[in-house]
Amino acid sequence: MALSTRRSGRTRFTILLLVLTAITLLTLDGRGFGPIDSARSAILSVLSPVGDAAAAVVRPIGNAWSSAFDQGDLQAENDRLREENDRLQGAVTAGQVSQEQLQQLLENEGITFTGDLPRAHAQVVAGSVANFGTTLDLDKGSASGIAVGMAVVTGKGLIGKVVQVSENRCTVELITSGNYNVGFSVVGTPAVGVARGTESPSLLRGINIDVSVSSNVEPGSIVVTGSTRRSSFPPNLPIGTVATVQTDDATRQATVDITMFARTTDLTYADVVLWQQPQP
Amino acid sequence: MNPVPRTVVRYALLIVTAAVLQKALFSQLRIDGAVPDALLVLAVAAGVVSGTERGATVGFCSGLALDLMVTTPFGLGAVCYLAAGALAGALETAMVRSARWLTMVIAALSAVFGVGMFALLGTLLGQAQMLGRHLLVVMAVVAVSTAVLVLPFARACRWADKDADRLRPALR
Repeated sequence: MALSTRRSGRTRFTILLLVLTAITLLTLDGRGFGPIDSARSAILSVLSPVGDAAAAVVRPIGNAWSSAFDQGDLQAENDRLREENDRLQGAVTAGQVSQEQLQQLLENEGITFTGDLPRAHAQVVAGSVANFGTTLDLDKGSASGIAVGMAVVTGKGLIGKVVQVSENRCTVELITSGNYNVGFSVVGTPAVGVARGTESPSLLRGINIDVSVSSNVEPGSIVVTGSTRRSSFPPNLPIGTVATVQTDDATRQATVDITMFARTTDLTYADVVLWQQPQP
Repeated sequence: MNPVPRTVVRYALLIVTAAVLQKALFSQLRIDGAVPDALLVLAVAAGVVSGTERGATVGFCSGLALDLMVTTPFGLGAVCYLAAGALAGALETAMVRSARWLTMVIAALSAVFGVGMFALLGTLLGQAQMLGRHLLVVMAVVAVSTAVLVLPFARACRWADKDADRLRPALR
């Protein structure tokens, strides 16, 4: 009996100690304790080769699993992609002409053309490890000039930012996670605001738009990253188009839903824009 | 070798194996965006096999391993998996009789508790979109997968605990 009571007391003490340790770690992480980031980067490096080797072995299982759940969609997606490929081949030529015209126009207005910014082209090697994560692992890291905070894009537009870097790997947190804001401006209007992810993989919510300028914002307007001084994103990266506009007269602010240009699911490649906010 | 360090080394080996399995295999087995969680299963299995204290300790360590692989606040996984492992141990110890199906139910309940706590604490710590429809999907997938995986994981925990087991009857 006495032994059991002593045992139960020891169990409570152990659990209390572990909980306090976990709370201490949470507090340290919240305060940006450097060694935790270093440990995570080290694990990213260490697990990369192990993960790659193991993934090569189990990939057939994963593919079979995906096929079993997505079989119905594959045929339809294949047909749609074939049709889109035909259409895009025709659009490429027209696009090249438009891009040159846009570049010239932006140069005239003194705006940086983001197409000229150096990029690190990377392959998506892993998705989120666990539940609740909206991250991707890319096969390029600090050896390619990538640093924490850099914007990540696909050919269509912004998808996220780098949150962890090791020498040959980086982890990208998708813009749809809702864990950070992106300053934006609406092309052709003075409207600016901040966008944040929603539960949808392709929809963002833009807030803090001054109601006096929101009348210029219409569904279909193009949204790009803003040029605020503290933004970690380079200006004028395409984000998406305005889907809906709602005005709140009480707060004198408007809210917009933004349909993203880039998709954030089933990605194979992504580019890290090698740009960091110049230090003052 | 002394039984205690041997048990620690074996559990460390199990945690590393579970982490690699999670990264390489389970993270690819997505159902509506949710995946089985090998590290949570290990915490629950340790609780089921060796009681509250061992469940809490292994849960804390496997949660830390998860924290190193994700971008959520560091320590969140540790505290939630600790709770799940401890709950599994407490429930299993409280049971008058033991049966496989009962162990599976206890494991599923403990895993759901761990996931729910993770989402709740994560939201309190400023993580977005943890409480929503996705949470229900995650709970369902984690509950079913944990119920299925707990038996082989429990076998592995018995192997890790083999030497410590000799002392248990006297300590209970």
